[in-house]
Amino acid sequence: MTDTASPTTGATPAARPRVPRPGSGRRARPRRGPAPSGGTGHGSRLTPYLFLLPGMVLFVGLVLWPIVQAARMSLLDWQFNPGLPSPFVGLKHYDRALHDPIFWKSLVNTGVYMVATVPTQMILGLALALLLNKAIAGKVAFRVLYYLPVITSWVVVSLVFEYLFATSSGLVNHVLHDGLGIGSEPINWLGSRWPAMVVLSLLGIWKGAGWSMLIFLAALQAVPKDLLDAASVDGAGPVRRFFAVTLPQLRPVALFVTVMLVIGGFNVFISVFVMTGGGPANDTQVVLTYMYKQAFDFLEFSYGSAIAYLLAIIIFALSFAQMRLFRYDEEAS
Amino acid sequence: MTRPPTGPPTRPPARPMSRPSARTTGRFVVLLVGAAVMVLPFAMMIATSLKQQSFVLTPSLVPDHPTLDNYVRAWTSSGFGRYFLNSAAVALATVALVLLFGSMMAYAFARFEFVGKKAMFYAMIATLMIPAMMLLIPQYFVARDLGVLDSRTGLVLFYVAGQLAFTTFLLRGFFAGIPRELDDAMLIDGANRWHIYWHLMLPLARPALATAAIFTFLGSWDEFVWAVTIIDSKDNRTLPMAIQLFQGQHGTSWGLVFAASTIAVVPVIAVFVVFQRYFVSGLQAGALKG
Amino acid sequence: MRVSKTLSWLALGGVALTLTACGGGDQKPTTDAQGNTVIKYWHAYSADSPEIKTLEDKVIPAFEKSHPGIKVESVPYPYDDLHQKLLTATAGGTLPCLVRSDIIWVPELAKLGTIAPLSDEMTDFDKIASTTYDGALATTEYDGKHYGLPLDTNTRVLMYNQATLQEAGMSKPPATFDDMRKLADGLKGTGDYAFADNGTSGWNLMPWIWSAGGDLANSDMTKATGYLNSPQSVAGVQLLVDLYKEGELPDIITGAKGGEETSVGLPKGDYATMLDGPWMLPIFASQNPDFQVQTAMMPAGPGGSISVVGGEDVVMTNSCPSKGDAEQFIRFLLSDEAQKDMAEVGQMPVLSTLGSQLTDIKPYYGIFAKQLETARPRLPHPEYPKIETILSTEVQKAFTGDTTVQAALDSAAKQIDGILASS
Repeated sequence: MTDTASPTTGATPAARPRVPRPGSGRRARPRRGPAPSGGTGHGSRLTPYLFLLPGMVLFVGLVLWPIVQAARMSLLDWQFNPGLPSPFVGLKHYDRALHDPIFWKSLVNTGVYMVATVPTQMILGLALALLLNKAIAGKVAFRVLYYLPVITSWVVVSLVFEYLFATSSGLVNHVLHDGLGIGSEPINWLGSRWPAMVVLSLLGIWKGAGWSMLIFLAALQAVPKDLLDAASVDGAGPVRRFFAVTLPQLRPVALFVTVMLVIGGFNVFISVFVMTGGGPANDTQVVLTYMYKQAFDFLEFSYGSAIAYLLAIIIFALSFAQMRLFRYDEEAS
Repeated sequence: MTRPPTGPPTRPPARPMSRPSARTTGRFVVLLVGAAVMVLPFAMMIATSLKQQSFVLTPSLVPDHPTLDNYVRAWTSSGFGRYFLNSAAVALATVALVLLFGSMMAYAFARFEFVGKKAMFYAMIATLMIPAMMLLIPQYFVARDLGVLDSRTGLVLFYVAGQLAFTTFLLRGFFAGIPRELDDAMLIDGANRWHIYWHLMLPLARPALATAAIFTFLGSWDEFVWAVTIIDSKDNRTLPMAIQLFQGQHGTSWGLVFAASTIAVVPVIAVFVVFQRYFVSGLQAGALKG
Repeated sequence: MRVSKTLSWLALGGVALTLTACGGGDQKPTTDAQGNTVIKYWHAYSADSPEIKTLEDKVIPAFEKSHPGIKVESVPYPYDDLHQKLLTATAGGTLPCLVRSDIIWVPELAKLGTIAPLSDEMTDFDKIASTTYDGALATTEYDGKHYGLPLDTNTRVLMYNQATLQEAGMSKPPATFDDMRKLADGLKGTGDYAFADNGTSGWNLMPWIWSAGGDLANSDMTKATGYLNSPQSVAGVQLLVDLYKEGELPDIITGAKGGEETSVGLPKGDYATMLDGPWMLPIFASQNPDFQVQTAMMPAGPGGSISVVGGEDVVMTNSCPSKGDAEQFIRFLLSDEAQKDMAEVGQMPVLSTLGSQLTDIKPYYGIFAKQLETARPRLPHPEYPKIETILSTEVQKAFTGDTTVQAALDSAAKQIDGILASS
């Protein structure tokens, strides 16, 4: 619900690189060696728990418990009315999802969105970062401008794109059809599946490119200068330096960006909710809009929870696969 | 993509000066075009918000007869000022609580050894991988059982819970980088742990706190799905949901919708422009130099 | 040290700000600062319309003046969101006291246990009910009880732009399906559309299906196959699909956003005709004073000129903590005074005693009253919203070209059979 976990909302860039870096904790530990009690001379054993208490209460009660609860709901015919029994039905709702053509359609649409947006954002983000990783006039201004879409509310940018891609009066059709004379009729962008997916993907790319850019930019600035200098002394040109020195240095960050973008791609919701509502005829439904519809339009909370869990399983599997893939690569090189 | 060379200090002196500068100009032009694409939708939004209703459906970037009418109407109609204040109050409360609770947890994780530390820490990491929306359904019923549906308390509580993990990570890393000798010195002077946390860690973690504050602020200011799901009363609506409802009701009044949108976007841009150095410095200091 | 200070002030200020300003969602009667009972009233009157202004600036103040101690809080939603909000609030226990519910939702809300049987709750129910039209009152009935009182009634008639008709070489509005096709032919190449509508729900489709001689299901509500996919029903929908394929019906029919809405396209002359209810006339008058909208009967097919009965009922939720006060407002909404006020802005009254004065209040009610004589209600079934979703989704496939009208309606009928059989 809160957007923090989604890279496309820009709430995470600083957080995630921390995760694959347990080194910081490890570094601290040997230093503690001389005083193994960790300063327990002051304050009791309870002290750390007191520091954790308020945050943990919220985290456990409002995040961890709902995770468990969602699993429970997905295995029951769960009734929202506390007075009514909620019989255990096993995997019925999962089975239903796997036989539900609209669920599959929504999964395909989500996949298409991901394939369209993830690599594009990576490449654009890296390209922009390389361009900006230089002394260039207006560097800060560019950085701000490219990052603006990231911090702007999804609702607002979705409405703006809806307006830009309006059939009869939108700027895009105005330019394409009236201006360049493409097509005999103005394109009905949001009225059918693939054109709508194009618009949704364009929005995703436009909104997210600045995020990848900022991460890559920070990573580029961390590439050791002496390595680059050494390479150029050895006679490596800029292209060679990029592939031989810079790119390998970016590998962990690239992994991080990919994982986050994939998660973000699966998280696509507001743009679809606002711009097409999943229509026409469920043609642009994505997994989360379909889950939302089942739960809050039809009160099918158990089915909605099962869909949510299926999505989470897919995300976890993909994330692990990516980490594996990158790690093997790393070992190989 | 490979055209740009890496790092001006390596520029071989033998090359004529004109080529790099031509390259720089090319780079600048590319960046400029890209920036134009980035800005165009915003420009369109603002232009439309300045148009009179009868001109709204003509796609031009320059309004023929610009008017602030839409802003006046958006602000005065249907309690828009109220929505703005709601968003501000909710975002502020969320930022404060996230920073406070998050830094306390981060301190515990950075400076103590205790039973269950690993389990708790990895539980938090793991939840960062979960799409937040997945929890929407059970969270809705937790909120119902707590009696916080349709209230701003319900927004704040769940925003805080949702953003804690991220802030804790960010700050834990920062705290871990603060030399232990400083703690020890204060301990020897008889300070207790709370004192160290409050008077040593927090002041030193200022840049990281600023970074966390910005991300948290943006996260709750822009949040839509949770708000639209739990809030019913007009009095409790926040800006993003108000704008979406606004559009549902004023579908054709794009000028009005975009005036409202512009009002909602301005604080975000202001916060970002003022604090943007913290974004980058936060990224560099905390995240990538590890 | 400044940081921790800032932080503590922030925390204090922020928390205080939200907590003090927050009312809880509790079950006790909601009261305002002056100790008045607050009755929340959800509705979907069109924003920016004279209706909502009349409700909020005239009807509610009049009620509050005559009923000290009770305040009514009007909560508007877009029509498309209200149904979902009602269901979600049922699950979350955050329902308001009163709802102006579309007549087609009442059986569903009654079955869910969301709304209270007014015929049991209100001692004077029969007396008030007897003042309303029988047909309107019937929309509040479920399982032998009345779960609300009718608030307004309406139907859709043809509204047209005379100038655009003349562009097509027609002097009179299309009176039949054939005329509609002629109009479409006449407008070929002009860039204007013969007809526009903004969706494929029952409200949009049923007039064409009924007028073509078809129907959604049998009268026992047990079977859709043989009715919804009959040649007549198919012909009704086919007319719209043909117009769409010829480029004479704009894409908003599939619910696509970003198109020009009917309320904009008709006065601009982009759309020659549309179907809509009486509230549109005050809206046009206030938003497009230069435009003279014309009205005519729904174009007739082999089944006649049959439109759809619309309208709203006022219902009270079971969870309302102050039912007595809420009932006071219901009584007021059904008073001559409130009904007349709303009649001024396109809300057709349900009081039979006002019937004779209708055209005196607003002349445009004449044609609606005439159309209502043959208009039909949508299926009064507790699962109607689901049935309508199926119909709407399947027919959209015919519009987007994924399937034929016959196949779409076959599929819809089969799915609807399943719902009818299981409930």
